[in-house]
Amino acid sequence: MSTLQEIPWLDKAAADENAKAIRQARTVRNRYNLLRISWLLPLLINRWPQFVIRAMTLAGFVFTITAGLIGTRVGSHNFAIIFVWIAWWTALKLSFIPFGGRSWCSICPIPLPGDWLQQGGILTKGRGLGLNLHWPKRLKGSWLQSGAFLLIGLFSAVTLTDPRVTGWVFVALFGLSIGLSLVFERRAFCSHICPIGGFTGIYAQTAPIELRVIDTEICAKHDDKSCYRGCPWGLYPVAFRDSATCGLCMECLRACPQDNLALNLRPFGADIGKPRTAKRLDEAFLTLVMLGSVLAFTSVFVGPWGWLKSAAYAIGSLRWVGYALGFLALNLIVLPGLFSLAVWAGQKYTGKKFPLNREIANQAQALLPLGLMAWIAFTVSFALPKWGYVVAVINDPLGWGWNLLGAGNILWSPDVSGFSPVLQVILLLIGLFWSANVARRLADSDYRRTVPIQVFCLAFTLGMLWLLIG
Amino acid sequence: MRKEWFARIFVILLLAAAISIPVAGWWKRSQGIVIHARMAETGGWTPENLTVQVGQPLHLRLTSDDVTHSFAIGQSDQPPVDVIPGEMTDVTLVFDRPGKYTFYCTRWCSVNHWRMRGTIEVTGPTTTTEAVAPPLYVTLGLDIDAKHQAEFVPAETPSALRGALLHQVIPPAYQSREYYLIHTPVELWKALGGEPALQKLYDQDVWDLVAWVWQANTTSQELQLGKQLYAANCAACHGEQSGGNGVFADQLAQPKSKNPTGMQAGDMPVKPANFTDPNTMLSASPAHLQGKIIRGGMGTSMPYWGPIFTEKQTWALIAYLWTFQIEMEKLP
Amino acid sequence: MPVIKTIRWQPWAVWVGLALAVLFIPFPTAATTPTDRTYHIEASRFEYTPAVLTANPGDRVTIELTATDVVHGLSIDGYNLVTTADPGQTARLTFVADRQGSFRFRCTVTCGNMHPFMIGKLEVGHNTLFWRAIVLSGMTLVAGIWKLKK
Repeated sequence: MSTLQEIPWLDKAAADENAKAIRQARTVRNRYNLLRISWLLPLLINRWPQFVIRAMTLAGFVFTITAGLIGTRVGSHNFAIIFVWIAWWTALKLSFIPFGGRSWCSICPIPLPGDWLQQGGILTKGRGLGLNLHWPKRLKGSWLQSGAFLLIGLFSAVTLTDPRVTGWVFVALFGLSIGLSLVFERRAFCSHICPIGGFTGIYAQTAPIELRVIDTEICAKHDDKSCYRGCPWGLYPVAFRDSATCGLCMECLRACPQDNLALNLRPFGADIGKPRTAKRLDEAFLTLVMLGSVLAFTSVFVGPWGWLKSAAYAIGSLRWVGYALGFLALNLIVLPGLFSLAVWAGQKYTGKKFPLNREIANQAQALLPLGLMAWIAFTVSFALPKWGYVVAVINDPLGWGWNLLGAGNILWSPDVSGFSPVLQVILLLIGLFWSANVARRLADSDYRRTVPIQVFCLAFTLGMLWLLIG
Repeated sequence: MRKEWFARIFVILLLAAAISIPVAGWWKRSQGIVIHARMAETGGWTPENLTVQVGQPLHLRLTSDDVTHSFAIGQSDQPPVDVIPGEMTDVTLVFDRPGKYTFYCTRWCSVNHWRMRGTIEVTGPTTTTEAVAPPLYVTLGLDIDAKHQAEFVPAETPSALRGALLHQVIPPAYQSREYYLIHTPVELWKALGGEPALQKLYDQDVWDLVAWVWQANTTSQELQLGKQLYAANCAACHGEQSGGNGVFADQLAQPKSKNPTGMQAGDMPVKPANFTDPNTMLSASPAHLQGKIIRGGMGTSMPYWGPIFTEKQTWALIAYLWTFQIEMEKLP
Repeated sequence: MPVIKTIRWQPWAVWVGLALAVLFIPFPTAATTPTDRTYHIEASRFEYTPAVLTANPGDRVTIELTATDVVHGLSIDGYNLVTTADPGQTARLTFVADRQGSFRFRCTVTCGNMHPFMIGKLEVGHNTLFWRAIVLSGMTLVAGIWKLKK
């Protein structure tokens, strides 16, 4: 199955006019098609700009792994630790996700070698390698991604601070991605295993960017589903219910002969707030895992409890087992249990009763804005005070005494202590308001249904507030 | 097809840069001497042994792989240089005399911090062996491992000032440096007590005279130096008020099975000496104390400071130790 | 003619007014006479013992920092104070706790890989931001639930 399709240049002139007409004709409420911007469309259609950026992120990724494996063992002075867990993480949480949804996926280097092997070429199609098997149906959904994220959480204290471990983890992810690409079709690693993909996906539903079909009539008359054949994620853009799975790679844009796809700017939270009937418990579980993890990470890294940090760091010891059990209990039992209880209680005292599974999956949407804001607030505490290390580590990436920028040994530390508590309060309040709003919209005209869920949201917010500024 | 090759070359070039820059740096680093400092338990100094010719500069680049360390050369004027985790410090050494020099860490980095030592062998065209005089305790034949108790202890801390104010004449034999070095305070107290001219004095008064004599053998610069050396080298185990209760005291007192950081076989689990205890201190002479300091050991984790302190530094440290037994305030 | 959506501004105005009140009304504090406090903190990899210090506004706080394994440091967010302690050499820091709130203090000397997360807390008086945030959270919840927009 080919994953690339080039638009023959002969048809381009006519197609352009037609496409322009399509884009101008159909104006969807609350959506602004960014492709109307004259210079943006050629930039995205042409494969070179995206390729150049991705080649650079690939080189950066390989450099990071090298730095992690052979550079200094002191985490705070190693490019691998600082650039991954401070610089990239902050960029991801503060701009890529809230404003671009799954935009990181469009420039992520991890699937690149796998893609190239599958296609048999970088920009042109050749004889590809790989078995191209279908992903097993039972392993579909975001359960594996939740599991991967929990695994990171268990070993986070060491992974986030030891350059060697970060290096090897990335080697493993890289190897896994390439390996899976040689066995399964398309981006198996990205779609089903990547923990980053998991949560960027669910939070992409709150972001103001989406890729959607413009006129479904045109698609209905189109027999050759070129967008589906071109999508490395194996998705069918016509059927997009939300932005959770689309990696914004722009291949469908390039493949569609009618230019019937739009990159829309839309209001925040456009994908959530509508009642859902699909029993996607896996998404609900991932949403809850993100809430539990942010509570745990905040307690371990930003809290004053040294015994907790030591327990999380001493991997293999009895104390660590205690920490691991506590972490898993919070994520597998406490939060899912409390939330299910809240949903059940909400249903019990109102008229209409839906199957609990469906209702949990439905109501879990309301937790997304709060989770997004909580992770941003956590990042403010975790990463912002350490941005001074970013300059130091560009100056001396391996901790070997280099002086690339001539900055010497200056460690500039931004004093964020003045504004960061207030910023965190604002972020959490925005998240709470937004989540409360979404929960209300899901109330099915009976607000009592959502009161327990609102209480759950309030309790979570108070918990985060106490951990961050208490 | 051309653009495919162009793309491939682009990727290969970027990847080559990404890998070759660190590797080139690695190779360049191995051209010079880079010393990695780690806590003694995880390796100490790597490399540990260096050689250099007399008069040739030795360029060293020092970095730490875990915590703050510091680099200094024993018995030399070379000021200590901090070795910071993740950063490189450059130091150039020139030795004008051949011999075996010890370099060591001067900032406490674990209970086994003192074991972080290495050697620099300086070779010269004519290597003459200098005859070094054996330390006093050897010449005197003192058994510095024997248990010792003070037969008599003062009721209150002897004061040099009170001793001075007694306006007594002390026979010159007792005031010499040599007497101070080889006698214990108890011995002096017994000797003074036996002097006919001092028979009328109370026991405590005689202790004050002992204090006066002891203080006369020290200078305030010596005490100041001793205080600094104590704070930097001894306080962590022996305690800041020298009560044998420093921050590592409990760890040192734990039996081997419970003490994972204990490194040398045969180290008895025992708390560090308490210098505020008159029983042990007053029955020791400065020579005795010097022996313990420079030889260490005694089956415990007490370090041997012989290669590190100069003789002047050792006497200064001992002078400071007496301040825990004697009030050294001088007559204004 | 496009339809202009009318938003009922009155409830919003009330909410904003209340929020400003919550934010800026001075906190009711019991007047306490400033005293001198001394805290003896032991620093190890990677915790401070005790990790939570309390004081009243105006108190003169002395922190005696004893490092128990390697060289550690201490700096208090928001106060321009730093000190370093080697094992065996207790360091002292004295300052007047003039600001109310909760301030984190951190280690300033790389003491291992978890060093950036070696954190303690100084609580001076009432944590006014926290209490205001709690009240605002309740108000936000109400605003979110209530149909304030047509």
